[in-house]
Amino acid sequence: MSNNQITLKGVKKSYGGRVVSDIADLALGRHGVEGLIGPNGAGKTTLMSLITGKISADAGEILFFENGNRHDISGKKLDAVARLGLVRTNQRIQDFESLGILDSMLLSVVQPAQETVLGLFAETALRQQAHPAINRYLEAFRFSDPGGYALSAGEKKLLDIIRCLLLKPKFLLMDEPTVGLPQDQTDKVMEVVREAARDDGMSVVIIEHDLDLIWNVCEYIHFMADGRIMAQGTPDEVRTSTMVREKYMGEGDA
Amino acid sequence: MIDLLSGYAIFSLSTVLVFVALATLLHLQFGLAGIVNFGVVGFWGLGMYAFGILLLNFQLPYFVALILAVAIVALVAFVLGWVVLDLDSQAQLVATLAFAAVIADLVTTEKWLTKGVVGLGTVPHPFGGAQSALWLLLILLVLTVGVIVYARLLGRSPFGRLLAAIRDNEVLARNLGKDTSRAKLIFFTLTSAGMGLFGALSAPVRQFLTPDLLGPGVTFSVWIALIVGGKRWPLGGLLGVLLTIFVFDFLIETYLRVPSDWAQIIPILKLMLYGVTLVLVLLFRPFGLLGDRRQPTSHL
Ligand SMILES: Nc1ncnc2c1ncn2[C@@H]1O[C@H](COP(=O)(O)OP(=O)(O)OP(=O)(O)O)[C@@H](O)[C@H]1O
Ligand SMILES: [Mg+2]
Repeated sequence: MSNNQITLKGVKKSYGGRVVSDIADLALGRHGVEGLIGPNGAGKTTLMSLITGKISADAGEILFFENGNRHDISGKKLDAVARLGLVRTNQRIQDFESLGILDSMLLSVVQPAQETVLGLFAETALRQQAHPAINRYLEAFRFSDPGGYALSAGEKKLLDIIRCLLLKPKFLLMDEPTVGLPQDQTDKVMEVVREAARDDGMSVVIIEHDLDLIWNVCEYIHFMADGRIMAQGTPDEVRTSTMVREKYMGEGDA
Repeated sequence: MIDLLSGYAIFSLSTVLVFVALATLLHLQFGLAGIVNFGVVGFWGLGMYAFGILLLNFQLPYFVALILAVAIVALVAFVLGWVVLDLDSQAQLVATLAFAAVIADLVTTEKWLTKGVVGLGTVPHPFGGAQSALWLLLILLVLTVGVIVYARLLGRSPFGRLLAAIRDNEVLARNLGKDTSRAKLIFFTLTSAGMGLFGALSAPVRQFLTPDLLGPGVTFSVWIALIVGGKRWPLGGLLGVLLTIFVFDFLIETYLRVPSDWAQIIPILKLMLYGVTLVLVLLFRPFGLLGDRRQPTSHL
């Protein structure tokens, strides 16, 4: 079990007067791999963007605890939060158009000391050092042209996840990681993520509409609707909650 | 040897080299890092005037004045970059264009320092003797090649990859923990200081400095050359300058005997041809003559 945690207190965000996020009190990461579910527009993606600092909250406090260190990350910049070891994968496809698959991975692995204006000859050392980690992912996942660019939407999604994993994060937020991926690749992603959670103590929160995956993979689930956390519990508790059924699964996609 | 190149040819070649260097530096800023700098002439001109003033008004030793002038440009670029680099590209365009206009205005109005339109005195060549202009040309050649080699090496280095990532998708780069603001600021300061260095070395090429050297035409010529040659390539600036500025400012003006009543038409014709070339390139080869993106890393 990991000792990393994110806590939110009184975090609010509204767009044009409409409250899209209103989190009174929430702790993420207490239970290894957790799930975050809820209907479309519930505010799940917004919540992740608030935590990572991609957007800033109107009010509230967000704390990140890792290995006994406490960081106040409310209002911190996206890249600063990521450097603390808290990163997220994206729901909508995000890619570096001109970077090939290997370049994308090298970008993740490189250390700041190698990434300097005068570090013109750091590339060779970087490639050698990155070799084992990158190879591991290239063996685990299929790309149609591993020496070229990520071509399909699925490959770009996969690459987005691999880039994050290569950072060896302490806390990984995954926003609908399986959309656009074939089943065997989804299984593989989950296997790798669970392995990192078990072996490296990485905490994980997964947003998914694929509830089978949620029930299978997650040890604890947060249910969200209308910008609020409405229910929490083990998969069994959440699955049988009448409120969750009414607000979400009753809609017909369970 | 002495007559190998006429004085005017040396002057023109020196000018062409400066433009190659500026276009290559712009390749680094815009083609690689995606920073829109429409104030090229501002950094170049600031370097030129700062050097001239330190040398002539303050009587500093030649190389001390040179280094100090470049440091001044670096400082100004740092402050300007601090303000504009995290804004969108339109804002960068307007801000850098305005910066260059301010520099040109200050040079004109602050007569106590620059002597205004009368012109600053004569900036001497770094080395004396009969071959002094040729020496300067050689220095410019070495430095320009240096910039191109740097651009080439940087493009294949981890920092070059970071800059490309920032250009492609800055939020995603930040998502991976990259301090993109810092990277852009350091890089913009360095490359703008490079423009300042070539400005300072243009002072002895021009010798007599007047504010009309600092018109926006310099910036536009550099941009057109880079776009024509290929903004994504270390050699794009060189190719573009050869096809535009070299043909007009060197070949035609140096060797072509034009009837004197045509002389006034040439600059206008030149601008028109620049424009037409630019439009054709943008229509048929939007990434310039050298083309689109580079090969990805295909194995480790
Ligand atoms: N930049 C924005 N401006 C205005 N409204 C926004 C903005 N971003 C999100 N919203 C709104 O906030 C609400 C929550 O959106 P969010 O993307 O967080 O939902 P979600 O739970 O991730 O939904 P889905 O499951 O469809 O991904 C939606 O109603 C959305 O329209
Ligand atoms: Mg979402």
